[in-house]
Amino acid sequence: MSEAVQLDTGHELDLGWMDQHGQWDTKAEQSKYGLTLADIQIGEYGDAPVESDNQTGRPRGAAERPGSYRIGNYAVRTKSEIWLDNASFLYEEALQRQWSSATDIPWHTIEPLPDDIEQAQCTMDTFLTEVEFVAGDVPARWISQTTPDFFEARNVLLCQVMDESRHMDVFRKRALANGGGLMKATGGTAGVVGSIDLSRDFTEMSSRLHISGEGAVLTIFRMGELMAYNDAEKAIYRLCAQDEARHVAFGVMHMRYMAETAPERHEEIHCYLDEAERGILAGSQNPAGQFPTTSESMAILLGGGKKHFDEGRNKLIAIRRRQLSEYIKRVRSAGFGDRFDNGRSQVPEILADIAA
Amino acid sequence: MARFPSEAWFGAVAGVFNGDDSYQGAGGGHCNCTAGLVIEGRNEGKDEDVVEEVFVLTFEGAECKGGVEADEAALDEVDFYMHMPRVDWREMLEDIRDHGHATENHTLNSLDLERDDGLSTSKHGDQYREDLFFRYNQTLQFYFDASARVKTAFS
Repeated sequence: MSEAVQLDTGHELDLGWMDQHGQWDTKAEQSKYGLTLADIQIGEYGDAPVESDNQTGRPRGAAERPGSYRIGNYAVRTKSEIWLDNASFLYEEALQRQWSSATDIPWHTIEPLPDDIEQAQCTMDTFLTEVEFVAGDVPARWISQTTPDFFEARNVLLCQVMDESRHMDVFRKRALANGGGLMKATGGTAGVVGSIDLSRDFTEMSSRLHISGEGAVLTIFRMGELMAYNDAEKAIYRLCAQDEARHVAFGVMHMRYMAETAPERHEEIHCYLDEAERGILAGSQNPAGQFPTTSESMAILLGGGKKHFDEGRNKLIAIRRRQLSEYIKRVRSAGFGDRFDNGRSQVPEILADIAA
Repeated sequence: MARFPSEAWFGAVAGVFNGDDSYQGAGGGHCNCTAGLVIEGRNEGKDEDVVEEVFVLTFEGAECKGGVEADEAALDEVDFYMHMPRVDWREMLEDIRDHGHATENHTLNSLDLERDDGLSTSKHGDQYREDLFFRYNQTLQFYFDASARVKTAFS
């Protein structure tokens, strides 16, 4: 450490830094929802650039610091690659609608269940813990790859990581709460789910994770109330479904933005959807699909035990039908519905086969 | 005593809902949507239910603005609407009254799952807006659970 500089007496403070700032005289006013991110989108602070050259972690709207070194080699610096019009809104909503797996679940309502039902429930808990691990891990990787100029989208993804960690812990807690435990790892993260992490592009990742993967899991969570045997399980599924619907909303709105602002990437996005659809029922990532361990567990839970397997299987088929029909409508909402009209997607045929 | 369904009833429930901070936690919280409620009746001689009454519920932030009586055309504008025969609405609300909250198969989500044509749907078919029923499900449930504290008469 160097010695302190001895200044001459009468030295004037250099307060030049006081004149280095972004847009001044900014007075944000809160709306009826409080002071939200939407309320501070003022002037330069609200302008997310179409292309960002920010590699230094500079907060959007702050004065530049010439000569500063790169602290982030951000790969995502083009707005259309990650943007969505309602990111601020989703972020505030995510903050507002958090819940605690420790205290907001009525754990006292869980009572001993027949062995086959407990084993099936614990299999689903194991599977969902695996899947939620990926759902938290993958977006986290992209957060650090994204320029701070697009902080709204980053913040939504940060909330998603929090949500997914809660989902991981709540299913783990359920598995350990009623005399059972975790079962053999299902391999649910092999194949298509694992491949989400291999995505080279944010939209590729989002189409697989948010639209295909989480859309399917959202249906499972909603259907959870049909598989639940007590108020605790009902609450778990219902609250997880809310979070999941928010994540799906991110994907739909991002793809909608992409469809409107980057038409040259339309065909590329269709290719991502082609890939995702190939595994929509055949892979291990969808417990309502054809993977034996998880689909049989669901049939047992839905039917009310091994003896009512066929009844449960019929309900499972109804779930598949809903999954696919909701998937089609989401992709249409995102601006890529032409694939269902021009014969590119096989999902309408699969849906028709299931209905038959 | 407020009669279900009526603007007075939806307003009374909104008063209880808005006044109880516990509904803002535990998975509740800010909610922004317009939700239609359709009370269906039996169409004599036909095998289908008909729309008898329509109300539009509005949620803004932490607040429910209450419900306004509307005509069927209003269903084109809402984010989603929940439709059930009058007798099923009554059964759901009586379960809530008896237990303080919806139990077993009387939650909105369970009702949606167990009905062949679902509880929640839309005229526009935009899944993004229909998904608001799932995204805000706990808030919607809290709202109807709040009706346990409103003396209700049924028409």
